[in-house]
Amino acid sequence: MSFAEFLNNYMYYIGAFGLIFIGLFILLTKKNLVKVIIGLSIMDTGIYLFLIAIGYVHEGTAPIFSKPGLNAEGMVDPVPQALVLTAIVIGVAILALALTLAVKLYKHYGTLNLRKIKEQKW
Amino acid sequence: MVNPVLLIVVPLGLAFLVPLFGLISKKTGKYFPILALLFNLLLTIKIFPQVLSEPIHVNIGGFTPPFCINLVAGPLGILLAFLIALVGLLVAIYALSYIKEKNEEKYHILYLLLLTGATGVVLTGDVFNLFVFFEILCISSYALVGYFGDKAGVESAIKYLIQGALGSGFILIGIGLLYGQFGTLNMADIASNIHSVEPISIFVPLVLMITGFGVEAAIFPLNAWLPDAHSSAPSSISAILSGIAIEVGLYAVVRIVFTVFGASSIMMFLLFLGVLTLLTGELSAFNQENIKRMLAYSSIGQIGLIVFALSIANMNGITGGLFQLISHTLGKALLFLAVGYMIVHTGSMNISSFEGMGKKMPYTSFFFTIGALSLVGLPPFIGFPSKFMIVKAAIFKQEILYTVLIILVLTATVVEAAYFFKVIQAIYFKGEAKKEKRNRAPFKVLIPLFIFAGLILIVGIYPKLITNILESSAAELISRTDYIKSLIP
Amino acid sequence: MRKLLGIILLAVIAAGIALSLEEIPFGISKTIIGDYFNKNGVEETGATNMVTSVVVSYRGFDTLGEITVLFTAAIGLGALLTGHKKREHSDKVEPSSLIVYTGCRFLFPVLMLVGTYIFIHGHLTPGGGFQGGAIVASGFLLMYLGCKGKRIKFKASKVIEVLGGLIFVGLGIAGLTMGEDFLFNFLPKGEAGELFSAGIIPIIYIGIGLKVGSELAGIIDNLIEEST
Repeated sequence: MSFAEFLNNYMYYIGAFGLIFIGLFILLTKKNLVKVIIGLSIMDTGIYLFLIAIGYVHEGTAPIFSKPGLNAEGMVDPVPQALVLTAIVIGVAILALALTLAVKLYKHYGTLNLRKIKEQKW
Repeated sequence: MVNPVLLIVVPLGLAFLVPLFGLISKKTGKYFPILALLFNLLLTIKIFPQVLSEPIHVNIGGFTPPFCINLVAGPLGILLAFLIALVGLLVAIYALSYIKEKNEEKYHILYLLLLTGATGVVLTGDVFNLFVFFEILCISSYALVGYFGDKAGVESAIKYLIQGALGSGFILIGIGLLYGQFGTLNMADIASNIHSVEPISIFVPLVLMITGFGVEAAIFPLNAWLPDAHSSAPSSISAILSGIAIEVGLYAVVRIVFTVFGASSIMMFLLFLGVLTLLTGELSAFNQENIKRMLAYSSIGQIGLIVFALSIANMNGITGGLFQLISHTLGKALLFLAVGYMIVHTGSMNISSFEGMGKKMPYTSFFFTIGALSLVGLPPFIGFPSKFMIVKAAIFKQEILYTVLIILVLTATVVEAAYFFKVIQAIYFKGEAKKEKRNRAPFKVLIPLFIFAGLILIVGIYPKLITNILESSAAELISRTDYIKSLIP
Repeated sequence: MRKLLGIILLAVIAAGIALSLEEIPFGISKTIIGDYFNKNGVEETGATNMVTSVVVSYRGFDTLGEITVLFTAAIGLGALLTGHKKREHSDKVEPSSLIVYTGCRFLFPVLMLVGTYIFIHGHLTPGGGFQGGAIVASGFLLMYLGCKGKRIKFKASKVIEVLGGLIFVGLGIAGLTMGEDFLFNFLPKGEAGELFSAGIIPIIYIGIGLKVGSELAGIIDNLIEEST
């Protein structure tokens, strides 16, 4: 298919996985702890976008029956949205814990450079 | 008929109640885990005879699966729930006197939530629910590893957290790919449709989910967090992490590979990973000076052995793997609890400072020796029938590959015996001859150690006590069509 | 060197995922359970917002796990950050500049109202317990920004948090004691579109909203205490 059709069909997947890979790259290569935590957060955002993009139906609206005559065929899938709600809260919990540990780590070591925080020997 | 949902809901409700009681008096927090886990223990013993014949299915919310979440209480699930309740109860009794910080009620809340998450993982029948309860388990363990707040603890906790969060991200991507292909989140539903697509498109979700759960299960390249985390945590938490958390992670891997995907082609890969994990764990444990780090590497080795046994994928192999899982849980928990009080009395974690411990703390050293000999695999302890079953299963396959791998396994056992005997020698046969003041651990601490040692001895002498339970659990894992049929007639 | 290895690893993962994404076309409905929920959700649960009926009623156990995760993180934070003493209101409560102070005093009740509206109407309009609770917590954050030294009352927030969690677990167990399953919707469903409809769903969402709001406010409070 042509490039425009390809982009129209897969744009959301490309965007979501682009975010996931940017986040993974930051996690693997950066030295500062706060940057690593930001990379984790970016990766999580990409995953949420991917999950929601799975549930989309062409020309679908939000699954809310605000008027009595709405048709259930033209609505998007509500299940991925419920999964993403749960996953966002879990991501927030991990982020809060990570930042607390970063605060305590700074108090002990005086630096946030991951290459220097290597007290534990092999 | 009692509802297995209570196994998860009652500890959860009690954990929510603890802060309320904490406002009135700070000292009531430590009895809640004991209450909740005692309830769980009695409930699992009551349900046990029923699930051996047929698994109990519980639908949450009053709808029918796959449109709701369901719990599947089969023999494997209830066996693991029983183990979690038993080990959790004993370690909670130990922690009554071991944890003496100011904020101790928060320790007990986190501890109860860790065990609730673990019970939820083993009982659920839905893929996303597995992920949520697995996250409860992981987040409580991140907070508990750094609980003492010292330099080593916080550093280990942040490294564990980052690797664990990365693994959770992979699990979510895998769940997304599975939902996109099959349109449902129920394990039995996915399992019945799994062969209707080409193998290449389910290969990627399988690998992502094994990687994600494998971080917690400590399989070979993903276990860099384990030595730091298990050695810097408080000793009661090290016992729970080594004894329950990595086993529950391994259960999640096994459930995904055997029941949901039915992947027999990946067994060969898991076989090699298991042997690699075993060898790296045992060889690294050999030249450790720090006793808790040594025990952590030994945990890696034992998990490698269990993965090896489970990937043999016939009845004997899986039964042997489950037996080894129970033996490792009981033995490693005993070892960490005994070592905890030894460290409290000497103030250091080096093996050389344990010289002469045999005279200073006679009972604790005796229990430590029982645990060590059981893990090595000597009769009459529980380690012997479990390792014997694994060796028998590998030899019955009668292929040259398995014989070679069994020789590697036995070499690793010899290395294990070497480093454990080094510690036992330091405890009993070194140290000055002058009379030391006896420094026994408090009585409340000796009770759990005694019960663990007693169980190791009893089940070691009469393994028939639990072999039929293990065989039903192994049958549940192997015959995935029975699992699917019992849900979707 | 490390960057090169990272890029190679990511390229391998990207190739694998691109292979398996061929099976998931974009924009076509591929769900079995989603269609069932859309068709029968209004009669079976009484809520008009399908996402709410999935989150609270059909997959309510996941929501129970989710509030447990947030609770665990809040307790873990409290255990790690032990820098706080028993809070008294005797600390100097000094307002920031006049504009910030007045703005915060004006916005705080508005934010509380918007947050409460969102979590009470969770079964009718987009939103729900978590979204409303987050807005309530941001109202508290505004209060911290407006006056240095003002703290929320510790005991009151703990009691509200515990009550919120117990409402959820209690309603579930009430379903059990009536002989049905856990989290069974036992209150009358009423007429779809009314405020008092959908059985136990709005009550659960009120409990979740209170719990999440006070918990997030507690987390913010712990972190701000640590920095002073």
